[in-house]
Amino acid sequence: MSLLQEEREIILSNEYVDNFDFDEVEEFVRNASKDLFISHHFAKADKMLVQPRGGFPTYKQQFDLYEFFVESNVDVLPLTIDSNTRLNDYGTAKKMLRLSEENEIDMLNGYPLVNHGYRTTRKMITNFNKPVSLRHGTPDARLLIETAIASGIFEIEGGPITYLLPYSKNFPLDKAFLYWKYVERVCANYSELNEPINRESFGPLTATLVPPSITIVIQLLEMLLALEEGVKSFSVSFSQQGSMNQDIVTGAVIKKLARFYAEEIGCGDAAIHLVYHQWMGAFPMNKDFAEQLINMSTVIASMVGADKIITKTREEATGIPTPQANAKTVADTQYTLRILNGLPNIVDEEEEEILTLEVKAIMEAVFNDPADTLWRKVFNSIKNGVIDVPFSPHIINHNNMITIRDANKNIRIIDRGNVPIPDRCFEYERAQCDLSKDTKGIVNDIIHDIGIMQ
Amino acid sequence: MKVVTGVVGNDIHVVANRLMELSLNARGYEVFNLGVNTHLEEFFDAVVETGANILLISSLNGEAEGWSREVKALKSKYKNLDDLIMMIGGNLAVGRGDAEEIERKYKNYGFDLVCHQIDLNTGLDWLEEFIEKRKTQ
Repeated sequence: MSLLQEEREIILSNEYVDNFDFDEVEEFVRNASKDLFISHHFAKADKMLVQPRGGFPTYKQQFDLYEFFVESNVDVLPLTIDSNTRLNDYGTAKKMLRLSEENEIDMLNGYPLVNHGYRTTRKMITNFNKPVSLRHGTPDARLLIETAIASGIFEIEGGPITYLLPYSKNFPLDKAFLYWKYVERVCANYSELNEPINRESFGPLTATLVPPSITIVIQLLEMLLALEEGVKSFSVSFSQQGSMNQDIVTGAVIKKLARFYAEEIGCGDAAIHLVYHQWMGAFPMNKDFAEQLINMSTVIASMVGADKIITKTREEATGIPTPQANAKTVADTQYTLRILNGLPNIVDEEEEEILTLEVKAIMEAVFNDPADTLWRKVFNSIKNGVIDVPFSPHIINHNNMITIRDANKNIRIIDRGNVPIPDRCFEYERAQCDLSKDTKGIVNDIIHDIGIMQ
Repeated sequence: MKVVTGVVGNDIHVVANRLMELSLNARGYEVFNLGVNTHLEEFFDAVVETGANILLISSLNGEAEGWSREVKALKSKYKNLDDLIMMIGGNLAVGRGDAEEIERKYKNYGFDLVCHQIDLNTGLDWLEEFIEKRKTQ
């Protein structure tokens, strides 16, 4: 028995798992409907796929939510996991699920997949016969991903960096790399049986003034870590940044460089997709304004040329959205996409060149780290500040990079910390900003820049 | 002057904490930022370890009161902390509360300066005034 299979047996002989039947699951994946695979839809779709967010505690609520989504012509269904499961606390999730089922109130902020189990969840997934995307935020997602694939969920979001630096203060990063290595290998192995399982990275990160160079570097690195384990279908992503031009430039550079680096490591055969998140920062309280913002995001996603868009709702500022509000966004977004015709092709060569130079310089610094494997090089680069994510709460992150917005709302780096931004690029970035203010003024600008959409 | 700062309790709101570090640095303080999700013992341990003059605790989710009740009892277990300037700021109550009542409560818990929903720069101006006043006493 391989080491991976031994590890899988240990992970799956968990008191919360009801007899995981490896052979039966393999048969299921082998014969599963192609429609369940988002990779299959990416290959044949001639439009941007629309995916909302959403997860409820009970089976019935989740089923009802999916009915709403299907009615509004959804392309990809979401399954958002509750916070206890994300922290591997299945005992608490079990108790809260029972309380939610016995009472009328929700005691969980998502669907506790491990507790429901794959036999039950698979009935729901195959009933709707649409691709489902797993949304979570779990550093150790080994059991969760096994359960998800066995349920018929063939898109897995997350990664060791993007699910850790924005969400945790002190979960050990080196462990996260190893746990996600397991996830990549399991996804790669199942991919050989039918259509490929798609992996997606979480580009928004902290959604707070993260410059495109940092976003792209992290997307590329998580992509490379997945491809080197054998993943054949991967989505890089980013969220609306605040400047339409910067989004278009970011989209162009990330597409070009994802292809470039995949070929560099001999994985040019992998399919690579681009996902765009509607605005992830603070939303306006005014629900009509929120809808305008959502609509604008959809237009930008089209300009960017994204393969999939992930939506927000008019109730974003007030809490967990109702199924009705969520379904409404899907219908509205589909409508906007249908009437968006004859988009102009905008290219900003100077901005593209600057961003490409920045990304390549950081990637080179990561590759030049003396460690023996890619994940160790990346780990060291985060530890020594070559990669620095603004506003990450994690203790390993340096927090020395400082960014503000220029007059056109582009995010600009005014202090690079230890990130090897080339001098020419750094001078260009600073030249776009008003740096005559003292720190008091700059701090006020930063506060303003974070809340521009409110 | 040395400042230990961080966000108390199971509170992960990091944005203001980062801005506070920037502002404190700009005002010439030596900053030891413990970040989000910090427990009370960690704050006092850091003060002892760094020899800080000021402890600046912040909270956004409103949980600070539960933690603050234990400040005096815990502080008395440490030696040589009598001159430590204790400051707390952010959103110091769950839901709406009367600002004066909140300030009175937190001063009873052992804080010298209480900034409930006060602008960051105003709060740090208060800190400077407090330090000046103490020097002349």
